[in-house]
Amino acid sequence: MKTALGRLRGANNEGLLVAVIVVVVVAMSIASPAFLTPGTFFALVRSSMVPLVFALGVMLIMISGGIDVSFPAIAIFAAYTTMRWSIDGNLDLGLVLVFVIAMVVGGLLGLFNGVVIARFRLPTLIVTLGTQTIYKGILLTYIGSLYISAGELPKSVTKLSDAHLWDVPGGGYLHSMVIPVVLVTVLIAWMLRWTVFGRSIYAIGGDEEAARRVGIRVVRTQVWLYTLVGALAAFGGMVFVILGKNANPQSIVGTELDIIAAVVLGGASIFGGRGSVVGTVLGVVLVQLINNNLVLVGIPSTWQRAAVGMLLLLGVTAQALGHVRSRKRPVIVKKEVEA
Amino acid sequence: MSDPSRGPLTEINQQVETAFTAALERIHVGRGVGRMALLLVVTFIFFAILRPGIFLSQVNLQNIGLVAPEIGLLSLAVMIAMLTGGIDLSVVAIANGTAITVSTLYTSVLNSQGQGAADSMTPLILLAGVAVGVALGAINGVLVSVVGITPILATLGTWQLYNGLALVWTGGITVSGAPSGLMSMGSAAVLGIPVLLIILIVAAVALGVLINRTAIGRKIALQGANPVASKFSGISARSTLMMTYATSGLLSAVAGLIFLSRSSSASADYGSSYVLLVIVIVVLGGTNPNGGFATVLGVILAALTLQVLSSGFTAMRLSAYQYAIAQGVILVGVMVLDQMRFKTRKRRPGTNSEEQGAIAEAETK
Repeated sequence: MKTALGRLRGANNEGLLVAVIVVVVVAMSIASPAFLTPGTFFALVRSSMVPLVFALGVMLIMISGGIDVSFPAIAIFAAYTTMRWSIDGNLDLGLVLVFVIAMVVGGLLGLFNGVVIARFRLPTLIVTLGTQTIYKGILLTYIGSLYISAGELPKSVTKLSDAHLWDVPGGGYLHSMVIPVVLVTVLIAWMLRWTVFGRSIYAIGGDEEAARRVGIRVVRTQVWLYTLVGALAAFGGMVFVILGKNANPQSIVGTELDIIAAVVLGGASIFGGRGSVVGTVLGVVLVQLINNNLVLVGIPSTWQRAAVGMLLLLGVTAQALGHVRSRKRPVIVKKEVEA
Repeated sequence: MSDPSRGPLTEINQQVETAFTAALERIHVGRGVGRMALLLVVTFIFFAILRPGIFLSQVNLQNIGLVAPEIGLLSLAVMIAMLTGGIDLSVVAIANGTAITVSTLYTSVLNSQGQGAADSMTPLILLAGVAVGVALGAINGVLVSVVGITPILATLGTWQLYNGLALVWTGGITVSGAPSGLMSMGSAAVLGIPVLLIILIVAAVALGVLINRTAIGRKIALQGANPVASKFSGISARSTLMMTYATSGLLSAVAGLIFLSRSSSASADYGSSYVLLVIVIVVLGGTNPNGGFATVLGVILAALTLQVLSSGFTAMRLSAYQYAIAQGVILVGVMVLDQMRFKTRKRRPGTNSEEQGAIAEAETK
């Protein structure tokens, strides 16, 4: 019975998270009849897309035992720079090329993070806090600080902004960007589970020294990981620009806490070695559910930040207590066997 | 690594210990104070030569003296947390919490009982504000020591939470009104030195004495240098960490009072750019991000240096974003340089690894 319950709970408390989401949904639909409509659901999907892409990047870093706060700066840097270049060059590059350029820019910024962190073994939070301001400062000083409106954006980009996959009769719509976002999510889940690179990330996060002795090239894997996460952030930045139909260099930076909260709630461990794509998706959904709908159930929007902070603290508390429990468990098992 | 063929164990221990303390002293001077003093002087001269008219003006110099205290106090608050190997990201939120508490309490007393009552109540109101700061710091302490959450995550959460609660309380607007005594203190000067700067110096000296001359300070440093050795020495990690984060809250609260004395208004979003700045200062001041080493003087000098840099950038008509780039580059650059120096020192024969030294030190106690 214990194992059945354990399986329901999931390796990273995913089951628990589903239960919490269900409770929140039920509570909200009781509090407000306007909540249970297709419109709310599709708004949730729409607002979860960008955070999900960022959260996947944060999750990858966290599994490897680090913490990254520079991803919003990388995202807007890459997306805005690409837009600025195509406007200044006065050429419409087409969607694929726009995404490729943005992701190369993002990848290079991520590479810089990776080299500094992996080569010199520095604390990831402090390094990325530093590079975040460097990237943002360079963007605003040397590339541009002006808001780019929908009219100025390349046609191929704005065309995608209005491309709805499915317009729901009762109001609301499913945006077509959901396809690439889901694709990327599945791809990362596959990579983590079935590739040597993915397993290496878990191994490094679990025990760096053990990973090294097994023969994993720790520094190289970390550098590639940060590059990948940089590219992923750039992808998220492009999705953000397409959904918002504008490019504002002052945006995105400042949202990192919400994302980290979502990832931690999703069961990824700050100590590394633990975390899953499913958990991260659920964590993002939970945070967005609260962010989107607090007002709907009559709680003023000023409570948003406090609510997410509380949620984050509850999540890490659960994790910390679970950590203590899992450390004690082997001793108990041993005693039972002996008896 | 020590030579195994040499004499009895105690002798090795003693040698390890002397080598360790010698290394410690070298790091203290080399990493923090000496370098920072030099950097401060160089930065100052650099801008003084480049823009003497603006940079050396009375207003500019006074401005450095007025902004440095709040940043210095917040840096000390982060420093003491980093000394235990942790970090406190919630310092600015705590400072704002104190400022908002004092401001709203004062305004409500003023409105209900008049100026005279409000003035006579001022000490009590200030005390309440400081108590709020210490309490918020103590909550951090509980989360880190009792619940066992990693300091980065715990204070990331409380940063968000305290900031969010301040937003709820103020409704997102700036609250104005500050005790008149506090405001006159903000603009007063003794012998041309701003009172706020004197407050920073007093706080720094007090913290220096706490860290270097008292048992609790030693415990805090050992907790960061080697938690295992600390545990085997019979030191309670729980009470040490509680004390650390409560002190951090106290220092942040004083910074909050300074916020209020300078602007006579408080808001939830004041000083949001300080979080990075303060970490830059603490690391630049020679604090080891992994715990164990920190000097108050180094951190104070680093705070002054960055303030000089900031006003120098303004005098050169460079933007706040360029100053942000400089902050980031300094932070990453200093850590990389430290790491490279640390590596070369480690390879040199004769010096011992930190852990052995700390354990040896703990055993001889």
